[in-house]
Amino acid sequence: MDRAEILRFDHVSYIYEEEEASAVKAVDDLSFSVKEGEFLAVLGHNGSGKSTVARLANGLYLPTEGKVFAADMDTADPACEIDVRKTVGVVFQNPDNQIVASIVEEDVAFGPENLNLPQKEIRRRVDAALDAVGMTEYAGHETHRLSGGQKQRVAIAGIIAMRPRCLVLDEPTAMLDPRGRADVMKTLISLNRDLGIAVVLITHFMDEAAGADRVLLMKNGRRAALETPDRIFSEPGRLTACGLELPDAAKLCDCLRKRGVKVPPEVYREEQLLAYLFKRLPER
Amino acid sequence: MLKEITIGQFFPGRSLLHKLDPRTKLVLTFVYIVALFLVRNFFGLFLMAGFAGLGVLISRIPLKTVWKSIRALVFIVIFTAVLQLLYHSDGDVLWRPFPGKEFAVTWDGVYSAVFLVLRIVALVVMSSLLTYTTSPTMLTDAIERLLSPLKVFHVKVHSLAMMMTIALRFIPTLIEELDIIMNAQKARGAKLDAGKLSERLKSMVSIFIPLFVSAFRRAAELAVAMECRCYTDGANRSRLKIMRFSRLDLLWLFVHVAVVFAALFTSFYPMGSFFLFQPVI
Repeated sequence: MDRAEILRFDHVSYIYEEEEASAVKAVDDLSFSVKEGEFLAVLGHNGSGKSTVARLANGLYLPTEGKVFAADMDTADPACEIDVRKTVGVVFQNPDNQIVASIVEEDVAFGPENLNLPQKEIRRRVDAALDAVGMTEYAGHETHRLSGGQKQRVAIAGIIAMRPRCLVLDEPTAMLDPRGRADVMKTLISLNRDLGIAVVLITHFMDEAAGADRVLLMKNGRRAALETPDRIFSEPGRLTACGLELPDAAKLCDCLRKRGVKVPPEVYREEQLLAYLFKRLPER
Repeated sequence: MLKEITIGQFFPGRSLLHKLDPRTKLVLTFVYIVALFLVRNFFGLFLMAGFAGLGVLISRIPLKTVWKSIRALVFIVIFTAVLQLLYHSDGDVLWRPFPGKEFAVTWDGVYSAVFLVLRIVALVVMSSLLTYTTSPTMLTDAIERLLSPLKVFHVKVHSLAMMMTIALRFIPTLIEELDIIMNAQKARGAKLDAGKLSERLKSMVSIFIPLFVSAFRRAAELAVAMECRCYTDGANRSRLKIMRFSRLDLLWLFVHVAVVFAALFTSFYPMGSFFLFQPVI
């Protein structure tokens, strides 16, 4: 597993309103890296600095201390600004405030248009991006008539059309209903697996983090842990210290373990738990 | 109720009008509106109004939709018509509502009222057709292209066009938001449509302040999202849809100009029949 790093935070700190008395250190000496094609979940309570991470990732904010590298480009280097944003795409929480145009395909084309690509190339990218998020049949539709989940997928397509190698999403499902959430999650997983785009999913939904390759746990702007999800979810104490709760399935596993049932440590997801319990049924 | 506003909306489709170059449509609509105010007789007006009707048929926009945009202006239409009836005292008297008084409704008044109503309806239908059949992005692109000579005077044409695109994009979003805020304030006991005018104006404040705050917040977030998508000053942008002046545009231009010319010709060289009657307006 020696893949290149696509995003690297190197002892990054970020202070809001540095000059003023109300200065807040949102991110504090944070270091981590994301490898090409990896799925990283960032978990943290409100105010843990996880949204600031999204804005640091593509140079919207420049670190007060330390450095952020996107594919070995320093985000603080003005000469790399456009290339950084092409490499690391950021999607935000509210899809309504990310959509620029009134028609789906015109909105998806906005990024490629800004990159001054030839018309045929824009067409190709728009079609591919809409296909990747499963919104091809809505190409000619008006954006304001779509559901929340569909709007968010259009917003993702708008970023995908710029062909980024890393996608950072700041609580993309927070405003959606369960169905929209499920659709967006399915889209993210397929983008990660089929197109090999690295995904950094910032969320406070524990179950969304369960499918990630690694989980970055944040507390007060600092890194509390960076491990595989099975280890994160088998140690509930650490999560509660960060103000977070276990996902339901992991909570059940934890309770079972406390009652003396020997649930293996790698079991923490719903389907794993179901399979395990099913296997144990005949014993009783 | 608010969701029924159809003015300025776009209805995606594949009709002949949808396919036209937006610049052609924009310029011709402008020409049409100017001509509509120059036409001085019924023959010309019927010709123009009929042409607008033909446009609706070609565009395959449901008549119900067009009717909705006319209905939005029904108050103005009735108001204009009544004023015309009141102001004309010349011509043959049709009806004296108050016996013994000077006031009378005359044929001249009726003609003028019908003339003006028809003119307003034609105006609304034709300008609605432009937005119904042109996507906002294409429309603002066309405006950008048509205004591009102004760049010589350092006018930021692209920024203007981008502002218009965003404004049109956010109209439905903000209407929805307005609806939510109104309901939220009603739920808190605000009386939005009762009481004295001064009270009603005051209660409007409780609606518009949240709306403005939210609009500014949206603007800030949108600006960040646009930056993420590599938007700079728009100097070097390509386009997904390229405007082409095709043979179809030439055909439509020809028909359009012919209709306008015929309507104006009869206005300035009247030949004296009933249809050429000119109301005094």
